Order: sequence, then C-alpha cells, then structure tokens
Amino acid sequence: MLSLQHISKYYQTGGNKTFVLNDLSLDIDQGEFVSIMGPSGSGKSTLLNIIGMLDEPTDGYHYFMDEPVHQLKEKQRSALYKQYIGFVFQAYHLIDELTVYENIETPLIYQNIKGAERKALVADMLDRFNIVGKKDLFPAQLSGGQQQLVGIARALIGKPKLLLADEPTGNLNSKQGEDIMELFKKINKEDGVTIIQVTHSEKNAEYGSRIINLLDGRIESTTTL
Amino acid sequence: MIKNYFKTAWRSLWKHRVVSFINIGGLAVGMAAAVLIFMWVQNEFNFDGYHPNADNIYRIKNHLSIDKRTTWIWENSSYRMGEETSRQIPEVEKVTRIRPLNYAPTYFKIKGEFFPEKDVALIDSSWFDVFDYEFVSGGPEAFNSEPFSLILTESKAKKYFGNKEAVGQIIHIDTLDYKVQGVIKDIPANSSFTFDVLAPIASRRANPKEKENEMQWGNFYYITFLKLNPHSNTKKVAKKIETITAKARETNNLAISLTPLKDLHFESGLQNTALRQGNKRAITVFGALGVFLLVIACINYVNITTARASLRAKEVSIKKIVGAGRGTLFMQFVAESMVISLFALIFTVIIISASLPWFNNFTGRNFTLDPGNISLLVVVLGTLFFAVVLNSIYPALLLSSFKPLNTFRGISVLKLNDATLRKALVVVQFSFSILLIVGVITIYRQMSFIRSQNPGYNRSQVLSFGLPFRRFFRTITDEQRASTTQSIKNDLKALNMVTNVSLMAMSSIQNNDGQSSGGLDWDGREKDFDPAMAYFQVDADYMKIVNMKLKEGRWFDEGRKFDRKNAILNEAAVKELNLHKPYIGQRLVSRGDTGQVIGVVKDFNFKSLHEKIGPAIIKLDDYYSTDYLIQVAPGKQAEAIKGIQKIWDKYCPGDPFNYTFLDQEFDNMYKEDAKVSGLMSVFAIVAVIISCLGLFGLAAFTAEQRGKEIGIRKVLGASVSGIVTLLSKDFIYLVLISLVLASPLAWWLMNKWLQNFAYRAELQWWMFAMAGIIAIVIAFFTISFQAIKAAVVNPVKRLRSE
Repeated sequence: MLSLQHISKYYQTGGNKTFVLNDLSLDIDQGEFVSIMGPSGSGKSTLLNIIGMLDEPTDGYHYFMDEPVHQLKEKQRSALYKQYIGFVFQAYHLIDELTVYENIETPLIYQNIKGAERKALVADMLDRFNIVGKKDLFPAQLSGGQQQLVGIARALIGKPKLLLADEPTGNLNSKQGEDIMELFKKINKEDGVTIIQVTHSEKNAEYGSRIINLLDGRIESTTTL
Repeated sequence: MIKNYFKTAWRSLWKHRVVSFINIGGLAVGMAAAVLIFMWVQNEFNFDGYHPNADNIYRIKNHLSIDKRTTWIWENSSYRMGEETSRQIPEVEKVTRIRPLNYAPTYFKIKGEFFPEKDVALIDSSWFDVFDYEFVSGGPEAFNSEPFSLILTESKAKKYFGNKEAVGQIIHIDTLDYKVQGVIKDIPANSSFTFDVLAPIASRRANPKEKENEMQWGNFYYITFLKLNPHSNTKKVAKKIETITAKARETNNLAISLTPLKDLHFESGLQNTALRQGNKRAITVFGALGVFLLVIACINYVNITTARASLRAKEVSIKKIVGAGRGTLFMQFVAESMVISLFALIFTVIIISASLPWFNNFTGRNFTLDPGNISLLVVVLGTLFFAVVLNSIYPALLLSSFKPLNTFRGISVLKLNDATLRKALVVVQFSFSILLIVGVITIYRQMSFIRSQNPGYNRSQVLSFGLPFRRFFRTITDEQRASTTQSIKNDLKALNMVTNVSLMAMSSIQNNDGQSSGGLDWDGREKDFDPAMAYFQVDADYMKIVNMKLKEGRWFDEGRKFDRKNAILNEAAVKELNLHKPYIGQRLVSRGDTGQVIGVVKDFNFKSLHEKIGPAIIKLDDYYSTDYLIQVAPGKQAEAIKGIQKIWDKYCPGDPFNYTFLDQEFDNMYKEDAKVSGLMSVFAIVAVIISCLGLFGLAAFTAEQRGKEIGIRKVLGASVSGIVTLLSKDFIYLVLISLVLASPLAWWLMNKWLQNFAYRAELQWWMFAMAGIIAIVIAFFTISFQAIKAAVVNPVKRLRSE
C-alpha cells in the first residue's frame, strides 16, 4: 500500500546538513498495524507527516496506493490524503467552536456529502463509540480520553484506508490509553484499516503487528510480533 | 456548507465577544458616518434630475456689464424677456418664471396671529407644465384660475390646518385673502426650489402699479426657465434672446447665456441666488472624508483579524488536514466578515436614524430613512459591499494560506510582512486622525479669531428692526415718512432701557448687499472709471453705537445743513478712488449730491471676514430711512423689547414686529463655517474613536500574546510601570510616525482652507504639536488600559497556563 524509498529530510544550517531522516526505506502492506518508536529527535513525527503528506521529503521516492506521491502536485496530493488517510493527534486538535457532533461531521462536509447521509454516518459513529449522549457538548466539556475518542471518530468517519496516529495516548492516563489501544486493535482487525502510530510506550507499541525503531533518522531495527 | 460557515462564524464571534464588539462597533460607527456622507454627496450630485424634462430645461442667465471692470451676473430676468422669447424663438417650447420672495419673510395671518413664512415664491401658470410636482389634493387648474391662490406643501398644510383638509382654507397675507388651492408633497432633498408656499404671479400683477413696474425691461425680477425642443442649440437660442433684448432696451450691455437645470446646483459667479445651491468643493472634501472613515473602520477589522490569525491557525490547520480546500476556508472567512458587517449594518441603521435630525440640520436637506428609497438602498448596500470586500480579501487570503504543519509545530504563522502591514495600517489610521485634529484646531482658531474681531460694541446689546415697507413707502409722502420716523426715534430714545438709537436706510449693520454702482465723481477721476461702493445711509447717532474710528476729519453734525450732501469714506474707498491729498475737503459727487469729503474712517469689517474690506461711503439720510439700530442697557434686553413693541403697536398697529440682535445676525453670517467646523469635529472624534478601538484591540492581543514573557519578566523583578512601558512603546512610536507623515499634508490642506478668508489666524507649529500630543495621550490611555491589566496579573497564573 505504501512504499518509501531512500527518503531523506534535512535542513541546511550554514555549511552543514542536519538530517532528520537519512536515506530511509520502508514498505507497509494493507492491514498492518505498525508502531514507530525511538527517542526524541529520531524523526518519528517527521516520518509520520511525510507518510501523511503533510510534509515533503527533501529526497527520495514515495508511493502510496501505487501513486508516485513525490511527483504529484499539491492539489492531487491533498485529494489523495483526503480520500485515504485519517489523522489522530496527541493533542486531539478538535475545533473548539464545534460540538462533538459537528467535529465528527466536518470531514464529510468537505467531501461534499449530502446532509441526510452525513447525519446517518455521524449517528453510526457516535453509536459505535458510545458517545451519543455527548454529541452536543463542546470539546472543553470533555475529558482527555473522550476528546481523543472524538478525534478518532473524526479520523474514521471518512472511511480511510490508513490511520496515522502521532502519540495518540501521550496526553492520557494509562487506563484511557489502554482503551484507545484496544479500540485501535479492533479497528485494525474488524475494519481492515491500516494503522501507523508513533509512540513512546513499549506497552502500546506491542498492540501493533510490527515495531520500527528509529534512531537519528534511520531505521535501527524492526521487530515483527 | 453555507449553514456551517455561518454557524462557525457566529460561535467564533460569540466566543471572542470583546474583539467582536470592537470590530462591530468600529465598523458600525465608520459605516454610519460614511453612509450619511454618501447620502448627502449622492443627493448633491443628483439635483433636479427628477423632473422628466430636466435635460431640456434651461435658466436664462443675464450678464450685465457695469463698467470696463465689472460685470454683474444675475439669475433674474425681466418679465418681458420671457414673453418675447416665447413669442419669437421657435426652439422654445415653453417659458415659465418664478419670483422668489425669500429675501424677507412673508407673514401669514391666521385667526389674528402672525406666522412668518420664509420660502414663498410667485410662479407662472405654466410652472407645473415644466416642473414635476406631486399633488396630494387640489391641483394646478384651480390654482391658475384664481390670482389669490396658494399651494402649500404637506408639512405646511399640516402646520396650519392639522388633519383638516387644507384645500379651500383662507390665509390672509397683507390685506388680502388667499385661498389654498392645492397641497403638494414636501420638496425633495434634491430640488433647487425650496419654496414650500407658492402663489400665482397674477396675484402681484393684480395691482396695476406693480404690473406697470414689472413690464419695464430694466426690472429684473423673474428667474426664467425655458423648455427647449430636444437637440436645440442653446448658444443660438441665447444669441436670439440677446438680440431681442438689445433691440428692446436700445443698448447692448446685456449678454445672455443658458444654464442647464441640472447645473444650477453648483453654478458659481452669480451675484446672489434665491435657489438652493451646493458647494462642490465641500462636497468633494466630505466625500473623501467618508471614504477615509470607512477605510479606517475596515482597517480595524483587518488588523484585529490578522493579529488574531495565530489563534485561528489551529482551527484552519485541522480543517485543512481533515480535508478542507483553500477555497472553502476562504469562503468561511468571507462569511465571517459578512456576519460582522451585517451586524455592523444593524447598528449603522440605528446610529443613522438617531443622528439624522442633526445631519439634516447641518446639510439643510430633508433626508429620511425610507426603505423604498432606491438611491438610499444603493448607498447603504454599496457601503456594505465595500466594507465586506475590504474586510474579507486580505484576512481570508492570509488565514486560508496557512500550512498546517507549521502551526502545530509552533512556528509563528505571521511572517514579518503581516506585522509590518499591520503597523502601516495603524499609521494610516492615526495619520488621518491627526490630520482631522489639526483641521479642527485650525478651524476653531479661525472661528474664535473671527469672534474676537472687536466691533467696538457689544453685539448682544444692539438690535435692529425695520418698519413695514407697505405702510411707509406705498401710501405716504417723503415728508410724512421723515416726520413719522423721527417721532418713532424720539419715542424710542425716551425709553429708559435704551441708551442710543440710530435711524438708517439699511436693514442691517452688516452691509452685505448694499453695493451700489457708480454715480460718483471727484477731481481726477478717469473718464471711464465708475467704481461700485458699499453705501451706508445713516444718521449722526450711528457713530455713538458702532464706534467707528475716525482717522481724519470729522463725523456728521446734525446742525450743519450741508452735511446732507457731504460724505465720509473708509480707507479702502480713499485708495479705490485714488483721491488726492488732502482728502478732507475734496469735492465728491454721490447720488446726485455735490458735497465734500468731511472725514475718513478706519477700515471696518462690514462683510464677513471671507472677503476683503471693500470701499465704503457713509452719508446722512433722512427721507428713506426706516430701519432702527438700538443700543440697549446691559441686562435690560427683555424689558427694552417690551417697550419697543409698544411703540411699534402705536405706529404700525396690526403689523408683525420682527427684530434681530446683532449677535444672531453675526452668527448667521458664519453659519456655513460653523457647520463645517461642527461636522469636522464630529468626524475627527469618530476617526479618533475608531482608531483607538483598533489600537485597543491590538494592544489586547499583544498583551495576550506576550503573556508568558510578561510573567517571566515579573518573576525576574520587572515593575508594573516597566511592563506598561514595554507594551506601550511600540504603539507610541507608530503614533509619532503618523504625526510626522500627517503634518505636512495637514499644513497644506489647512492653508488651502484658510485661503477662503481674507483675514485669518495663520497656522502655527504648536497646533501640530498639540494634535500630536492629543493623539499620543489618547493612544497611550487606550493602550495602558490593556497594558496595566496585563501587568498586574499574578505571574504564577500566567506561567501555569503555558
């Protein structure tokens, strides 16, 4: 589904190149649940952002769903990720002015889906995540775990093939974190959504089918569970 | 989708209530000022266009050459000219005339009570064929069939007859009964003809003496309008009229031109006019002012919105990541500015309806907030559209252009450019405010300069009134008049609250129209030099009231018989006539009297200070004097008027007593200037308020943005005043830059304005310094409110929230 070949990302500082990612190659198949680990500054988030097309590598080839992403124009790229990729953030990044219901609905609006259909889809999602009763609340009125749940619901509403999660449990306590991980596992198994998550927690990493350890912008080791 | 835009917009407004209030308030004030001005400007440029034949209607203009150097231009023509024109010139479809009587009030007598009416005119029977009036009741047929008819406007009819039917009612004017034959809609705000009481010319011509008088070619009483066939050559028509009049008058010192109806409003060069005219320059200046006020109000919105962009950045980025395109986000921000502008519009309408009476008073027009008024709608919606465009384009472009990742990483989305632009915009706002403040200072100084010109008497203690023309000129001989006016003078003098009385032959001490042509002769006059002079026809007591300063010679002496033929000149007149020295004792022929120059007085202001002091000649006059100038003991004004009224009732029973104190008259002379200065002050205040609102918003934002920095500095020991200085410094710099930019422009503009006055209070450097200090003080208070608020917060609270 996804292939990165010889990806580098560096910044020019004076005469030196500072590498964030250094000649990294990686293939991920449909249905995998990959955890990316590594110390701070090892390039985890950059890698995730490049996969999500929010960032561009300086060098290298990037294929997604058989499309050469490195050759696409901004517009085509955004059309591609709009269709196939969902994002979950450590800080949830919900829109404060919108209710739970409206936050989940937002991606559908931008995909020009009709009102009645949107209603049905959002209702399904609320039901599935057991947050029907909270649909009219605003993010500030929710706990962190609940906010992240909404974030995931929002990421999934567009039926993405790939879910990218940047430390999704980083701001949560361990119980909330476990719930989220269980949910990810379920999504991966039942819906066949490919998941790539960045995490600091060994325990959470083990929910995945493969763990990739990064160090200084390179893949140091890969463990298949 | 659209619903979603507005929903988010509304919630974001509500969440940031203070900012929204600043945005909406500033925009509403700016829009209200702009709409008022645009309404006025739009009206001024559309004068008289509503008459269906407007393009084919012309007014005859007479250029009468007096001597080599002077031509008098009149809007009035002789009655015969109209008659002959319609008979002899085929291009002329219709001729119609109007004789305005608005130089003095006409008194309506209803149930024994007098009511002065100012805007009265006599019109031809063809008036309503040429001009468009809407009748509410009655009509032109009945009006034209009776000489003693009246047409009133709706408001006048209501004033006199309430809700009763006005048509058929009788109003007494002088000794005659007039019957109301029609009621018309009120005069539109864009009509040159302000007359709200109309009577037929036939009523005047019913008097055979008047009729004979009017039939003279040399009497110019009537403003005459021609309706020409379409595509007529106006120059040719004017030439034909010229030929006809030259033949009839047997001289050709009268040139004719035709002025299109639509050009009457801004016509210049006329000696005087009875029609409603506009000042094109003032309108252009205020039009520009309107645009400026709107722009600075929009600047607030743009500034505050872009300043807050970093706060919106998260929302924008999320939306982009979940799939919003740039176009959709752009539309969202446009929707937001539309919501703001619409809210502002509501307040605008409220502000306008509250200030409309004041504005009508200023402009002398009658604007109403009538939703059926298309041009008003165009002005309001145009302003709204303008505001939305100005408000949306830049912020929407900026906000929708964020790259999502940057904002999450905490890299500032505001490039230097945006901050610089914001500063530039603040500078624009304050430059404009300072410009207006300098304007207000200059105008006030000039006005107080005018006031302080010492006339030598206390204006509030001198009043004047005139005896009724009809009673004193139509029926009695000169000798009878002289003896009656003298006994009135003696009676007035006998009143103990009256200190001095002067009898004169001019309705006012401000001699604005007493220009009289030629007829002077003296030793050394060039053959074709026949200068015009202002004539003061007074008695010997005049000097006691007005305190003219004699430079040479002596004042009139009642006892000397020959003083009736002698004259006193002012310095300007001596210069104009180029008299030989010694001036005293020179032979001077004036108004047929051969006498001597017995005195020269210092120049005194007998016209408004807009004009240079002209040549004036002062003579004694008894036979034609029917006006009184009365000096009253201080504090006894009310008693004196009662006493004078008694004397009036004795000599003129049944006539309305009408008097003016000189201070009223003086204020009248500068009415236009006072209006301009009033309006300027209001707009200056509006501009300053709007600019300060913007500054307030920016300061609030800065305080918020630098909250952490303030917290750290406080922990490290910074004082409150240190932090206030830190936050205010940058803004004060901006105001200083504005001062530097605005001063030269203000200097240039205000100098230009002062050129309108022959006598002026020149610009001084301290006026600019004062404007700068005012701006800085106001700006500082605005900012420090926010700065102090930020500085006194407990730093722990600040740092914890990070």
